[in-house]
Amino acid sequence: MTITEALKILRNAPKDGKAFEVTLACGFTPLHVQTFLAAHLQAMLAERRVVVSTGLYGDLTNTVEKAAERDVRNLAILIEWPDLDGRLSYRASSRWDGNTRSEIVSFVHAALNRLGLAIERASNNAKIAVALPSLPLPPFFHTPGWQLSEAEAQLNDLIGAFGARIAGFGTAVVNAERLSESSGARHDLKSDLLLGLPYTLKHADVIASCIARLLHPMPPKKGIITDLDDTLWSGLVGELGPDGVHWSLERHSGLHGLYQRLLSSLAADGVLVGVASKNSLEPVEAAFRRPDILLAPERVFPMEVHWNAKSTSVDRILKVWNIAADAVVFVDDSAMELSEVAAAHPGIECIQFRGTDYEAGSAMLSRLRDLFGKQRLTTEDSIRLSSIRQSAEFAANTAGSTPELFLERADATIHFDFSKSRNDSRALELVNKTNQFNLNGIRYTESDWEAELRRTDTELAVVTYEDRFGLLGKIAVLLGELNGDNFRCKVWVMSCRAFSRRIEYACLKTCFERYQIRGIEFEFMPTSKNGPLQEFFASLLESGLDVPLILTRERFEQVCPPLYHKVTSTNGLEFDGQHSGSVSTVL
Amino acid sequence: MDNIQDRLARCFETVFPDLQAADIPKASQETMSAWDSVAAITLVNVLEDEFGFQIDFDRLSELNSFDRIFDYIKSQVQA
Repeated sequence: MTITEALKILRNAPKDGKAFEVTLACGFTPLHVQTFLAAHLQAMLAERRVVVSTGLYGDLTNTVEKAAERDVRNLAILIEWPDLDGRLSYRASSRWDGNTRSEIVSFVHAALNRLGLAIERASNNAKIAVALPSLPLPPFFHTPGWQLSEAEAQLNDLIGAFGARIAGFGTAVVNAERLSESSGARHDLKSDLLLGLPYTLKHADVIASCIARLLHPMPPKKGIITDLDDTLWSGLVGELGPDGVHWSLERHSGLHGLYQRLLSSLAADGVLVGVASKNSLEPVEAAFRRPDILLAPERVFPMEVHWNAKSTSVDRILKVWNIAADAVVFVDDSAMELSEVAAAHPGIECIQFRGTDYEAGSAMLSRLRDLFGKQRLTTEDSIRLSSIRQSAEFAANTAGSTPELFLERADATIHFDFSKSRNDSRALELVNKTNQFNLNGIRYTESDWEAELRRTDTELAVVTYEDRFGLLGKIAVLLGELNGDNFRCKVWVMSCRAFSRRIEYACLKTCFERYQIRGIEFEFMPTSKNGPLQEFFASLLESGLDVPLILTRERFEQVCPPLYHKVTSTNGLEFDGQHSGSVSTVL
Repeated sequence: MDNIQDRLARCFETVFPDLQAADIPKASQETMSAWDSVAAITLVNVLEDEFGFQIDFDRLSELNSFDRIFDYIKSQVQA
């Protein structure tokens, strides 16, 4: 992004958009970083009006400490060496002598301690992104530039430990490796000395882009569908046989092995991995039984292996996963297959595997990491695949029996957590990822969500489901507030994996019981994707979908089908066995 | 030269969005409160983007009006 492009983005920001406020803490004149940060965020939050304000120049820690005392929602912190000891500034006028180096190490240690405490306090309220020192130390150390001096090593060590410490309490830290890849020259000495602007424009842009992506992370992709021949492995399994395909360094096909390892790591972190391959099933299954395969077959579901079009396979996989094409990446070595899939599934991201082009292979692996990377892992990430398998089994069983009998024997337990935990990133993830059963499609930034939870009148329920097929995990979220005799529901989402289990009725029933209300007002808005919720409301409400959408207790009791879940909650709500829609218990 | 003038005017529009088009040719640091030191640096960066050459920060104090900047750019382009 150039500075001109950045200014144009900011000029076109919606004047009446809801403000997205960021405090930028840095010890130098933040002109370019401020402009680029605002522009990158504005580009990501088109309907918002991004406002980046700054603290006192020259006193970064003080700005962070002040932010900890105020209701700052988003805090960007750019640390450079002079913030930790003024003698490390190129602009300083202090003398440098024999004792300076050891003094500086102890000063930096103390400064990082103070800054760490301030960041920890600020993290109670704010979403925080931090860039660690990215500019070179001044050339005052006794070793030649190609040798690391003891003092420099100690300083780097302190920064590494500081990064680990603040990342430990949830602060997002810019990856210095990524800055090395894309910034080029970082320090503009002339601009630093003449104007107090130490960053080159390119570096200011790159660092601002990283900070913006940490403050407002884009939702990661959910699944990857991979081809097999000349993609997951080298060679055609149908021609060479299961023992003939390879992915080894010895046979110069290590890129395929690397790809297998990446898929395995993604699967371990909750990414869904499926296969779409034009092959006969038998040799493919035999290849997956090889002990040297790096992607274990149990990590892959489903496998679409037949001779039909790849787009058909992708279609079937998306149905099993129950997610949209735009949440999925398709990898194949054939440009023709990629374009066939792209044409049939608009929104899907198609990436070509170029088996002998190592530069392209490296770029592909980095791209996949970026597309699937998430700031933190949740319990749900580790159970996602088993949950999908469980849903498939559930669907197969439901097809063979009457729903009533099946639901009664499912041994389902629903747990409601009303604790408003701000450390539960899964709740926000559900709100921002769910489309089909979503009350209004409104997405929240992390800072907006935290602000909602901090309000004393906000009520939150995070719903976990388990039955005899296994644990589905946290699958629904309700957020709202009491409004007289009613509960005003502002957020209601439920994962599509949890459909057909009457969990939605259990949610409403629990609301009526917990809050002893006469009705629930829904802040409903139809979207192009929330058809399943619209159908549910149409069956539930006499008035159809006319706003305001209000469900009375009487109406709910009339239409609620029998519920068979055992319901528990964080504050003692618990009952077993069949329960009707009738609500009377004070919980 | 008209082309340079138009391009320069676009740069001013980018940096000073509240400035009326008719006032751009008369713009100067003396008459515009928005043209502070920060805006001056930003304007130089935008001019570099638009015209594709580096402008020495030492010249910031001289480049204090639309006319002066126009003359400077004209001389650079001709050189």
